[in-house]
Amino acid sequence: MAGLMLGAAFLAQGQSDLPGRSILKGAAVEYLFPEQVTVTAGKPSDVVLHFRIAQGLHINSHTPKDEFLIPTTFSIPDGTGVRLDKATYPAGEEFTLPLDPSTKLSVYTGEFTIEARIVAAAGNHLVEAKLRYQACDKNACLPPKTIPVAIDVIGK
Amino acid sequence: MKRNSIVITVVLFILAVFAWAGWANWEYRKQAAEKAIASTAHAELVPDAAGGMPQFVSPLKGKPAPAFVLEDLSGKRVSLASYKGKAVLINFWATWCGPCEVETPWLVELRNQYAGQGFEILGIDTEADDLPKSDKAGWAKDKAAVQKFVQRQRVQYPVLIDGDSISKPYGGLDDLPTSFFVDRNGTVVAAEVGLSSKADLEANIKKALGE
Repeated sequence: MAGLMLGAAFLAQGQSDLPGRSILKGAAVEYLFPEQVTVTAGKPSDVVLHFRIAQGLHINSHTPKDEFLIPTTFSIPDGTGVRLDKATYPAGEEFTLPLDPSTKLSVYTGEFTIEARIVAAAGNHLVEAKLRYQACDKNACLPPKTIPVAIDVIGK
Repeated sequence: MKRNSIVITVVLFILAVFAWAGWANWEYRKQAAEKAIASTAHAELVPDAAGGMPQFVSPLKGKPAPAFVLEDLSGKRVSLASYKGKAVLINFWATWCGPCEVETPWLVELRNQYAGQGFEILGIDTEADDLPKSDKAGWAKDKAAVQKFVQRQRVQYPVLIDGDSISKPYGGLDDLPTSFFVDRNGTVVAAEVGLSSKADLEANIKKALGE
């Protein structure tokens, strides 16, 4: 019994893996839907993808007004059985920083959609597409990030 | 019957011991995690006494600025220690950061204004793209973007690269721009996260100069 107690105490004081403290805040952008689409195999099909940006933040549009700013970009990796033919992005809203009203930025806020024209081979494809963006609030910016956009594409 | 009771008692006791061990382990991990968080240089926003916007409070305030050696755009290694005796503004920024672009001309002006009094700015590019050292093409691309930015903004103070490598001792640098104002003895006297006004920057520069 003493051995059991000793073992339990060892468990209690054993080397723990401390939970890591992430330097990144929660994702600024969340993919909403669709989770699954059915398209005609081999033919271009338009799919409207819905995203939501966290309150108080904005991300650059696909066509930011400054060459250094990172555009929002949607992509589908090769070899997934689904090809991205074209992506149509919404126009950005004009945004100015309170401390510099002269600089106009082109951004997305709240919910936005991207229209993806895809061509899928016949079959069921679990596609992990990607959205790359860079988010800021009115005074500071978070590092650029790429989030997965998981869609089950059925080509019939 | 008596034997069964003994067995049940022993089993219950063993279960109780394991339950206690689990709880004690959880408590230990919780306390260790809290201790670890408290010991890191993580910044906080605290309400302004006047009821205004929350103010950034860095745990580095009043402490020596963490030492570093980074390369500048010409490849020369530059250390913070080599600026001892000067007031230094350590400004973490990135090419993709809009607010950084807004404050850079202010920094250029303030540096020119106060350089004669022993003030310098170290602009530290922090692209946060996690490039491995072996990715020479990636580093060259980053460096080219930084050079272009610096030329466009007519930055004359030293600009160092790979700020990500010293992010941890400076509190993680979740948001850019982030600035630390260091006095002539190497002590952090103020810090700012995000874009602040030119007047705020100047006030903190004066603090670092001991005015």
